[in-house]
Amino acid sequence: MTNSLSLKIKPHAAIIGAGRTNFGEQWYKDPEKLMIEAGINALESVDFGLGRKDIQACYFGSFLYQTTNKLGLVSGYMARELGINIPMNTTEAACASGGSAFYNACIAIKSGMYNVILVGGFEKMTDRFNKIIDDLMFAADPYEFDAGFTFPSLYASMMARYIHDYGDDQRCIEALAQIACKNHHHAVNNEYAQFRREITVQDVLKSPLVADPIRLLHCSPISDGAAAVILTKPELARKYTDAPIYVIASQQATDDVSLYTRESLTGIKVTRLALKKALDEVGISMKDIQIAEVHDCFTIEEAIFLEDSGFYEKGKAWKGIYESYESFKNSKHIPYVKDGKELIVNPGGGLKADGHPVGATGIRQIHECFIQLRGEAGKHQVDKEINLALCHNIGGTGGIATLHILTRDIYE
Amino acid sequence: MSEPITRRKILVNYRIQASRCSDCGRTYFPPKFICNNEGRRSKMDLVDYFYHKGTLISGSVVRKPTNKFSHIGSFMSAIISFEDGNIKIPGRITDYIPPEEELDITEFIGKNVIPRFRRLYTDGHQGLIYYSSLNFSFEDDYYPYQDYVKVEHSNVSERAGIVGYGVYLPKFRIKSEDESSLGVKERTVPFVDEDATTFAVEAGKRALIHAGIDSRYVKKCFVGSESAPYAVKPCMSTVCQVLQLGEEYAGGFFSGGIDSQFACKAATDLFIDAVALVTCPTFGGEYVMIIGSDNSQAERNDPLDFTVGAGAAAFLFGKKDVIATLDYYVPYTSDTSDFYRREGQKYPKHGGRFTGEPAYFKHVVTAMKTALKLSGLTPKDFRFVVCHSPNAKFPYSACHEVGFQKDQIEPGLVVKYVGNLYSGSSPTALASVLDIADPGDRILMTSYGSGAGSESYIFTVTKEIENKRERSIPVKEQIENPHRKYVDYNTYRKWKEIGA
Repeated sequence: MTNSLSLKIKPHAAIIGAGRTNFGEQWYKDPEKLMIEAGINALESVDFGLGRKDIQACYFGSFLYQTTNKLGLVSGYMARELGINIPMNTTEAACASGGSAFYNACIAIKSGMYNVILVGGFEKMTDRFNKIIDDLMFAADPYEFDAGFTFPSLYASMMARYIHDYGDDQRCIEALAQIACKNHHHAVNNEYAQFRREITVQDVLKSPLVADPIRLLHCSPISDGAAAVILTKPELARKYTDAPIYVIASQQATDDVSLYTRESLTGIKVTRLALKKALDEVGISMKDIQIAEVHDCFTIEEAIFLEDSGFYEKGKAWKGIYESYESFKNSKHIPYVKDGKELIVNPGGGLKADGHPVGATGIRQIHECFIQLRGEAGKHQVDKEINLALCHNIGGTGGIATLHILTRDIYE
Repeated sequence: MSEPITRRKILVNYRIQASRCSDCGRTYFPPKFICNNEGRRSKMDLVDYFYHKGTLISGSVVRKPTNKFSHIGSFMSAIISFEDGNIKIPGRITDYIPPEEELDITEFIGKNVIPRFRRLYTDGHQGLIYYSSLNFSFEDDYYPYQDYVKVEHSNVSERAGIVGYGVYLPKFRIKSEDESSLGVKERTVPFVDEDATTFAVEAGKRALIHAGIDSRYVKKCFVGSESAPYAVKPCMSTVCQVLQLGEEYAGGFFSGGIDSQFACKAATDLFIDAVALVTCPTFGGEYVMIIGSDNSQAERNDPLDFTVGAGAAAFLFGKKDVIATLDYYVPYTSDTSDFYRREGQKYPKHGGRFTGEPAYFKHVVTAMKTALKLSGLTPKDFRFVVCHSPNAKFPYSACHEVGFQKDQIEPGLVVKYVGNLYSGSSPTALASVLDIADPGDRILMTSYGSGAGSESYIFTVTKEIENKRERSIPVKEQIENPHRKYVDYNTYRKWKEIGA
């Protein structure tokens, strides 16, 4: 193995299986059925076999099920669907519901209480048609709603301020479109992805205005879908598979639910806080990360992440994005490059192209890193040896973030 | 939204209420009661930003709004900073229609904005109507910023009268296309988020600023309207809550008042009552506010539909620093059914030509002539005469019949440019002549309300008017404001009906 890091921490947990559904419009499936489909896929992916009765607890993440499908007591639905009567918990943390469920599950494993946990995330958004625009504002505060804001327009306020402060250049405008093109490019070979087609910068810049300066193709879509992973204690992992993926950092940070009360419109504090703790926990730096699942709900968020993470300097991500895209746009994966160091962000298409069923996204990110680290991503497998992956899941406009670092090979 | 949630939000939304730590000065919107800098329960004082100016720090044009705001179409939402970033709040930019092509938001960053009390949305046709002051218009646009300075009074009159006034005319206008508008050349049009309540608040705010008095001493407020947004629930209580009329106690105020209804004289009828109150020792208050406010109603393509305007005028009565004493009062009433609206009906019906001679002219001319007789004055003793103005021809003819000349009538004929403001009509005409009146000038004002009645008032202007003039926004200035914007008939109907 090429990784020569000496990781100073013992893993929180090990992932031994992962499954998901296709993301997109799932007109014929109820949300609980989607969740169970992903869960069963995760169970069946465990190499040496794992049955439903082997699961000792479940952690689910979902955001809007009460509104979109008039569901409550998710645990009861899942107990009925799975036919098991174990402890189950549901976490709501807006778009970070999945990441937060995973964070809680890691704590549960680390506590020693359970040996095997199923962690799932799901969302059913298309049943609400355009009412989902109102529903999503549950992740903002009522004053933002009453100001007429929608989720795209809140992120558009970040984008406008970013352009005002740092990007008075046509290349910045193009870079923020290139992020969408790059993520669509990555999704072309992802069999689960919602959008498996290339788009061009011109396509993005000519797509309908949603919330100036955000256009339709700057946005992640409205999606249905679910994802699940199976967690176990690190010391038990090889009982289930020869290729467990270890969770070596699991962090969460919170900040004001409201964008307007935060310190900055061009940075996300929870990303900086959670990422620093995650990197410190493992004793590595951002430059050691090889692939990152970044919460690109809108392309501006991916750009801001690249600055919050320190990969690019504050205000300079757009230049790095522009130069990287121009240099690598014909590659299978388009990495971001800084001082010769490459970082592949959203190798399966991210929220933008893989889809964004809100509560499923955090778990879908873990799923993507799991298959990439195991070399099982098929046609969209990254063409280089990787051992460190990061998952960045944001809730709302930055009210919460979870950061997880995963690895395949641990060197004592 | 439920009624209790609404009440809690009103306390914050109407005045942009924030809390400030008494130790470190850090300020929070929405208000909270633990300062971050203390890490424990702190002494927090409530402050508000209703009369402040903010700065836009970022925003977006919302092209695909939530369902609650879809009636507005595209609009700008923004984050507004007050006191150089001490607090930031979200707000919708109002009185502004973004272009269809992409707007460069970065060009708006740094612009100053002014809070505006506007309608947000409703819970359907039967539910509550939600209002807020978290709406802003650009300072360099139609609505100028005014500081609210409370001025110590310098003299007390023996005779009560007007101590301040404010007129609010919306930014939008529609031009008349033919002669059916009886001399009305253009009319004010409410923006999509305006109604009689929001007009009343704006006019009342301007009256307080003009008078320079402390709103705590306004003990009674009457709002006359025939287009109040609720059949049952007063505009007055909203005006009171927003403008903080009376001494505050537990989120309410020690003041009273009602909404009144008598077609277009719903407000002016109460001028004499205001004077009576402020001279009555039992009243115990110093000032009375009277507002005439209407989003004047008319059915599509009815003759009224080509004369109606929208707006409000507010008058404060008292005995301190009076700018015009109220000297004579003559009311005249009869049961004449010229114009009416049954409960549950959206638009008024009227008797066509019957609204003229036996209704408007009979009552207006009778009241005017009797006022002259009572006072022993002749038309020559007046500098100005103003009347209720359903159009430009009626008031001119009535005044001319009584013996007034063109130079006395014309200055108050603002109906030509604002349309029929119903309850706000004669008060706005009065304001327009007070804007240019000199000390010693006499003004004869005659209102008219269908159903039917008139009252005439004779005012004498005092020298105090000159001290307050710089704090007024003259009617003419609003009429000629270069930022006024014209809309087409369909837009006018759509906006008017939303706020009807």
